[in-house]
Amino acid sequence: MHRATQRLVQLALIAAILGGWEAAARFGLADPRMLPPPSAVGVDVYAFIVDPGMLYHLWVTTSQVVTAFVLIAPVGIALGLLLGESDYFGRAFKPFFYFVASVPKSVFLPIFILAFGIGFTQKVAFGMFQAIFVLVISAIAAAQSVPADLVTVARSYGAKRWQLYIHVYWPAMLPVLVEGIRLAMIFNITGVIFAEMYVARSGLGSLISDWGMSFQMTKLFSGIVVAATFSIIINEMLRFYERRVEQWRV
Amino acid sequence: MASISALPDTKEGFAETHDIIVDSISHVYDSPTGSIEALDDISFSIPSGRFIGLVGPSGCGKSSLILMMAGLMHAGEGMVMVRGHRITQPEPEEIGVVFQEASLLPWKTAADNVEFPLKLRKVPKIERRARAREMLALVGLQEFQNRHPHELSGGMKQRVAIARAFCQDPSILLMDEPFGALDEQTRMTLGDELLRIWEQHKKTVVFVTHSLTEAVYLCDEVLVMSHRPGRILDRIDITLDRPRTYDMMATATFGQLRDRIWRLIRKD
Repeated sequence: MHRATQRLVQLALIAAILGGWEAAARFGLADPRMLPPPSAVGVDVYAFIVDPGMLYHLWVTTSQVVTAFVLIAPVGIALGLLLGESDYFGRAFKPFFYFVASVPKSVFLPIFILAFGIGFTQKVAFGMFQAIFVLVISAIAAAQSVPADLVTVARSYGAKRWQLYIHVYWPAMLPVLVEGIRLAMIFNITGVIFAEMYVARSGLGSLISDWGMSFQMTKLFSGIVVAATFSIIINEMLRFYERRVEQWRV
Repeated sequence: MASISALPDTKEGFAETHDIIVDSISHVYDSPTGSIEALDDISFSIPSGRFIGLVGPSGCGKSSLILMMAGLMHAGEGMVMVRGHRITQPEPEEIGVVFQEASLLPWKTAADNVEFPLKLRKVPKIERRARAREMLALVGLQEFQNRHPHELSGGMKQRVAIARAFCQDPSILLMDEPFGALDEQTRMTLGDELLRIWEQHKKTVVFVTHSLTEAVYLCDEVLVMSHRPGRILDRIDITLDRPRTYDMMATATFGQLRDRIWRLIRKD
């Protein structure tokens, strides 16, 4: 399909969904208390993004997500590199990670509340916990994807261990790793917002949870739109970076 | 035949005239099916500036021997001396290595790949860029310095790998089937290129190959190795004049030399 045609079809689809939704809400095809029209949701989204009080909640969520990510990314990647590259550690500890990775992390949330309270620290800790498994597993895969001959050649040119990590392992791992980093970020956001919805005094998740509980459907939808946009923007930024580091991979 | 295994006992000046001395190397490695004797009491020495071939059946330990000479692998017994001292780790300023795979860093341009060994030694950017240009010109790739490996053909990649090996101007060049993955035509062209560069720079070359024609065409001497455990069967002097020309391949001498090596390998 031609690129312009493709865009046109996509826009038409979005217009059809929004139009259908608007019509369904306006003409009583759906219960307007359950499904507010998108135009009303749009008004609330606008009200959200111009209200400093609301933006504060968005800021709380953002700061938790970023803090969790900045803390966990280096740890997860280093651990994955160790497990992927060292036969000894890999054999001993990899199964542990694969097992725990398959458990839904949400079941541990009450433990995080007991251990860290209901504030910033708990949200960050839970976001990190959500993200670490996919980070480690993708870093293992990335470390194992590094061609052995590149390492041998670099060694033959006198590369020291740290030089191998910086000049060979890291760039060779990146194309596989950025995919994992992106997924880890999605898990991280999920973790933080989920923890906020469960119990919190501020943050996007707590707003969404409160609006849902109090049946403020238009506000609830606007919260969902903001949260979705927030995640999509972060995801697309990482995808942009992913495409850049993949350029040499032809 | 005395020169094959016996080294002259610490003869004065021997180490000065011989770039590489391989002294009684034996090596056994463990595999899931038991221990395998890979190399059995290998000794030889290579005078400076000679182009030496290393041929033998697959799995005879040629590649292991190259890794040991490069300081990338430790022999179970025996040792390698390079320019008068024992090799225990890679010495990039003395030894350049080229493998069958060009093994270029795919995210770096041709020039960045060539200067990579200098970067590891923290040579200033301007200096190493100038050197990389010079080396790429040597292998005829000056036009391609900003290309990435995926934009180069197999032969061009191997040229870049050779330029990289020459970059630090080492006195020794170890080449493990460098043209093994290339088509016949490219292989011939690169062989001639290598000889041309070698005539200019006169490095000591150890060249592993499966092609007997290539071995005879390129080398001053060919070491023939046996099937596992690898031993040196014979050391054959290639009595062809230099510079080598394509026409020499059709001569009787060329055929006889090639035939001699073949008989040695086959008999074993």
